[in-house]
Amino acid sequence: MKLSRTDPKTDVGIDMTPMIDVVFQLIIFFMLITDMTQKELEELVLPDAQNADPDKPDPTVVRPILNILADGKILVKRRVLYDPQHDDGYTELKSFLAQQALRMPKKPVNDDGTGPLVPDNPLLIRADQSTPFKYIQQVMYLCGLTGIQIWKIQLAAAEQNPDQKPKPQE
Amino acid sequence: MRRRRQPEEPIKGDMTPMIDVTFQLLIFFMLTIKFKTLEGKLSAYLPKDVGVNTTQAEPKEKLEIKLKVIAEGTKLMPRHNQAWTGEGAFRYGPDRVVQYSVGPRTTRDIKELAKRLHELFQANPEQPVTLDALPGIVYDDVVQVLDQAINAGYRDITFIGYDVTKENKAG
Repeated sequence: MKLSRTDPKTDVGIDMTPMIDVVFQLIIFFMLITDMTQKELEELVLPDAQNADPDKPDPTVVRPILNILADGKILVKRRVLYDPQHDDGYTELKSFLAQQALRMPKKPVNDDGTGPLVPDNPLLIRADQSTPFKYIQQVMYLCGLTGIQIWKIQLAAAEQNPDQKPKPQE
Repeated sequence: MRRRRQPEEPIKGDMTPMIDVTFQLLIFFMLTIKFKTLEGKLSAYLPKDVGVNTTQAEPKEKLEIKLKVIAEGTKLMPRHNQAWTGEGAFRYGPDRVVQYSVGPRTTRDIKELAKRLHELFQANPEQPVTLDALPGIVYDDVVQVLDQAINAGYRDITFIGYDVTKENKAG
């Protein structure tokens, strides 16, 4: 009995299945990556710093990210929590920080294990290079309020890349 | 006789459109992801005892670095050397002058500040540092100073938060 394995009319010659598999894997990978980064990080020009540690976000660790734009707008996950144009006295940001502080693991305030418990995770502040520092000082003030008490902060900076930065004109 | 395995059947239907779309998607995601550059972070602290009653007093004297704007400088576009159009983010030109005070000494040169911090760290590595910025200072200035302080070796760097809303109302 003769069994023809392939039909010469429809045969494409190469088996496409592994290639399509790999391409789908890549698409899923890129979709996940872009989704994660674009939600939390706004497009900003970060200042350069030589001693910045590379940031490797760990999704299991509670670390709120505040994006502070040059005009003082504060965004978290694409949501505007504070806008200087429509000042709400930082109530929305306060409740956000309090809620985040509640989710963080707690440690005693003093190194010897005494004192009240305070959140032990950092808050990442991403501000534009031209953001007035008073907006950041205000956030720092809010962090110290009762019920929030976040005391570890990280300031985002770009790792220095001399090719990207325009050369200063004299 | 029954065959145990079906012979592999060739893929039916035209796969070309699906592969086309898939490649388009792949190219789109690859291009969009390219904009995200690797970011770094500088760690610092806020006063731990604000709003909390701690029995522990601050025993160590802190090294205070103050930042003050002397000349604001011209505003340029964030990524080009053209004058700022008046909208969105900007960057200060090289004519911006910021004065750094470390204790009683002041300087307007970031390199001199770096040298001074290095000397002070050698003399007393345990000393905590506080950074204080006067109005007009932008994020970039602070990050530069923080960068130099970390470079000198300091790890215990604290910021002071201000309730800016209250100060504005009072003034």
